[in-house]
Amino acid sequence: MKNLEELKKIRERVRKDLELRTGKHRIKIVVCLGTCGIAAGARETMNTLIDLIAKNDTSDTIVTTAGCAGFCEQEPMIQLYIEDKEPVVYGKVDAKAAKEIFEKHVLKGEIVEKYLFSKGK
Amino acid sequence: MRDLADHLFDVLENSVKAGATEVKIILGIKDKLFFCKIVDNGSGIKDEDVTDPFVTSRKTRKVGLGLPLLKRAAESTGGFLKIYNSEKGGIILEFEMDMTHIDAKPFGDIARTFVDAIYSWPDVDFEIFTNIENNKKFPILNSRKIKNIVNQYEMQQKEIRDFIYQSIDQELRKIGIDNQFGIL
Repeated sequence: MKNLEELKKIRERVRKDLELRTGKHRIKIVVCLGTCGIAAGARETMNTLIDLIAKNDTSDTIVTTAGCAGFCEQEPMIQLYIEDKEPVVYGKVDAKAAKEIFEKHVLKGEIVEKYLFSKGK
Repeated sequence: MRDLADHLFDVLENSVKAGATEVKIILGIKDKLFFCKIVDNGSGIKDEDVTDPFVTSRKTRKVGLGLPLLKRAAESTGGFLKIYNSEKGGIILEFEMDMTHIDAKPFGDIARTFVDAIYSWPDVDFEIFTNIENNKKFPILNSRKIKNIVNQYEMQQKEIRDFIYQSIDQELRKIGIDNQFGIL
């Protein structure tokens, strides 16, 4: 990759923009990316979430990944960790479901029963 | 798995799970044959046939489908897949597919696979090469160099993701990998 200089320039621009609004990460979304998740389209789920975070300016939210959780038939699965709240696991989260969960749960704190797999640890 | 991009992401996940910290990927096309070689420094494989679906390192269930599926996808086009331990430890995975074969899966978005991999496993260094004539490797991406510049949170930003995506995609197109239809 020859244009690292260009990447640096973009980073400077993005960083300045981020400094204005970044706090610490309060919300973590974990996308399961085992063979089962990948085959079920979990990468699309992950990219949808990342795009939504950027679009909504929710700079306290970060997306990370994990492997197979052992409930392959429920894939794509996501785990949602919100500070001071019990973790919530959602199943069968395609791009559309990801959008709904993001809008309701991440932004407003309402659990979306439709895709709920489990609550707590 | 819908396309090759999914399969590729899956084998990269295998490397990560095997504890690899460095993964080299070489992609090329020769006479309509797509070939891919992956070299990692993970824990390698034991003496078992990992392309058998009933062999897996996972603890949550007793079958592993990633490699058997890819092997089948490769073989159904008249290609092959082999995996073996390298002398330095870690594995070497090679597969070849005839992309003009009627049973060949489309490439899918290979550049997206790499962006997703770099994002998903920030502690692993991915080096990607395209292979042109005379087995010369042409480096198209080194994720460590990117991570020296942008942090994980900045990687979430569209502008940066798009930039990395485009610089990979551009190079893949040069060797004829088109994300929708297979070989151009």
